[in-house]
Amino acid sequence: MASLQEGEKSAPSLWQQMLRRKPVTVMTEETGTDREGGELKRTIGLFQLTLFGVGATIGTGIFVILTDAVPEAGPAVILAFVMAGVVAGLTAICYAELAGAVPVSGSSYSYAYATLGEAVAVIVAACLLLEYGVSAAGVAVGWSQYLNELLDNLFSFTIPDSISQAPEQGGVFNLPAVVLIWLCTLLLLRGASESAKVNAVMVMIKVAVLILFIAVGVTGWNSDNLSDFAPAGFSGISAAAGIIFFTYIGLDAVSTAGEEVKNPRRNLPLAIIFALITVTSLYMLVAIVGVAAQPVEAFEGQEAGLSAILEDVTGSSWPATVLAAGAVVSIFSVTLVVIYGQTRILFAMSRDGMIPRWFHRLNPRTLTPVPATIFVAVILSILAGVVPIDFLFEMTSIGTLVAFLIVSIGVMVLRQTAPDLPRGFRVPLYPLIPLGSIAGCIWIIQDLRAITIYIFLIWSAVALVWYFLYGRHHSMLGKRASS
Amino acid sequence: MTMVVGYPPDGRRRAVLHLAGMLARSAGDDLVLCAVIPASWPPSPARVDAEYHEHLDREARAVLSRARERIGDDVEVATHVHNARSVPAGLLEVCEERDASMLVTGAFSSTVNRLLHSSHVPVAVAPRGFRAVEGARVQRVTAAFGGMGDDLVVAAATVAARVGAALRIASFAVRPRAPYTVSVGREADDSAVVEWVAEIRAAQRAALERVQAQPAVPSDCEGVVGRGEDWEDALEDIAWADGDVLVVGSSSIGPLRRVFLGSRSEKIVQHSPVPVVVVPRDEAA
Repeated sequence: MASLQEGEKSAPSLWQQMLRRKPVTVMTEETGTDREGGELKRTIGLFQLTLFGVGATIGTGIFVILTDAVPEAGPAVILAFVMAGVVAGLTAICYAELAGAVPVSGSSYSYAYATLGEAVAVIVAACLLLEYGVSAAGVAVGWSQYLNELLDNLFSFTIPDSISQAPEQGGVFNLPAVVLIWLCTLLLLRGASESAKVNAVMVMIKVAVLILFIAVGVTGWNSDNLSDFAPAGFSGISAAAGIIFFTYIGLDAVSTAGEEVKNPRRNLPLAIIFALITVTSLYMLVAIVGVAAQPVEAFEGQEAGLSAILEDVTGSSWPATVLAAGAVVSIFSVTLVVIYGQTRILFAMSRDGMIPRWFHRLNPRTLTPVPATIFVAVILSILAGVVPIDFLFEMTSIGTLVAFLIVSIGVMVLRQTAPDLPRGFRVPLYPLIPLGSIAGCIWIIQDLRAITIYIFLIWSAVALVWYFLYGRHHSMLGKRASS
Repeated sequence: MTMVVGYPPDGRRRAVLHLAGMLARSAGDDLVLCAVIPASWPPSPARVDAEYHEHLDREARAVLSRARERIGDDVEVATHVHNARSVPAGLLEVCEERDASMLVTGAFSSTVNRLLHSSHVPVAVAPRGFRAVEGARVQRVTAAFGGMGDDLVVAAATVAARVGAALRIASFAVRPRAPYTVSVGREADDSAVVEWVAEIRAAQRAALERVQAQPAVPSDCEGVVGRGEDWEDALEDIAWADGDVLVVGSSSIGPLRRVFLGSRSEKIVQHSPVPVVVVPRDEAA
């Protein structure tokens, strides 16, 4: 008994636990960075990095986002794309500094753990789970819309609403979305992966399909549709930007490539800017063609939006069919990648003791984290089955925005607390860029729907309570320190 | 020369280590113990899988260094963790990189099967649970011989002579038991087997003569025929001893320069009580 009390006395205080950071030495030990040839060669040039950023960013969001974003902002949605893009760029530049301050590669969760402490890392992880988990569900719902469109055009058959819609939209359960999630899960359990070639093809399909939409859709240009440019004014634009923000997820892939980039001081920010300009231009062209083709009211509740617009514009079904087919193929691949990412975040958290070891269990033959993968699939099935798509996208956006908000604050905190820490990349124009990034994130967040913000706060609270009850006691870092 | 050893990162296969040690010791080759782990995905969205990969990499390294201890000091062993999209593809990449003379794998499985069908270098397959005593060497090389084309036999003889082992030519007569309802009975079938055995023995003698004419001749040469109702039976029919290795050639069908297992060779690999080396056809020539 006495020894137990003594043990309690010497236990770290709550603040110490919350703020304990994973020392970089522990990280290099874990990663074996000190092994032969540990330092990655700087091989990536500006052009390659820009392409990498464009490929990683152009996702499925643009296929489904107009339906939800245009009713908020009207034709001014094109400005919302600019706004979301600028904020995404600022956050990506800040993230690059944080990533460069930690000499091992990892997700933003690991970077936060090494620089900002355990409790913040748990919040970042909670955001990442939203970013990946919820977006996988949202993307799967978008896929089911395009699948229905494709089936309708090819075979004049549609899956009835009752099993292809969330309850709020007049259905019972979104079965195709759930089937997609389980198909991806099955592939992942078998240890399947996406090759560089397949990934490149998928990016090309997406770009080709979007260009098809622009080229064909522009024939339906009607300036009358643009006459009331910003019906909801400025707040409408920032509300739309909140929904749109998640279409820029993936840009942070550029930030984490830092250690392989030649002359990162110049090339990292330039690549982020060039990739952003490319992606934003494409998104804006799609958006302007879309809003010019039909009145704002037509967007509300429109399923498989881009396909539907093409069909209305041309009066024939083939362009819509091609677009739907491209969307079905490429969204499948995105869902696979996102579910994969989700399971690996849980794996990393489990390694640090923040969630049970169960998530760390690998199948010895395929080396896939089977329990974690099945857990993710079950949760995603529920989300994709019953939650409406616009809410899923808003949750994804807020998760991403808060994660980047923390990263941007973290950059400023680190400049104060650890000014001498060697950084592979330093944010230019300090402190303007981190401040701009913070302001941008907060601005977009506060215009999201109240319900989204509430649920996000509840989710963060759950994560923190989990940390207080479980994580801080099971932290591998804490165990290491006490032993 | 270097032999590449495919070692699963779960570290549960010891047979392959015993076989690799024996083969490398005999041939005077060095070994590269290689574990293949899944490659990071190309899009790798913001490196969310970095921690997972680091874990796999670290575990694989630990497993390999433990495995290396088991082989013994008389063989030079390097370790290598390779990232690839599949285990067979990864092992073949390493073979290419290291200019390997042979690829050594564990017991027959779908992975081994894929290797056998796509390897440019000979593939040695350890039987399940294979164990070799410390310091074991190859004592006898048994070349599977179907009666046509003795290139493989000559190649096996050259290897046997180089490692100081004996040579044995083995042919197998596999006849399933005839159903009793067939009125010709088993005798009719038996006479066909007898005839085939006589022919194959003649062919074996011819092959042995060619072996004797080679510049390097193994210490001891003989020919045997195994009979049985299935492959397992026929293989068990000829006596096996410690230090035996069976060499089979791939079928002549299949893409050029690739091991392509004929249905026979595949059955031999699955049922052999001793390690099997599958040699690509053009390697034997």
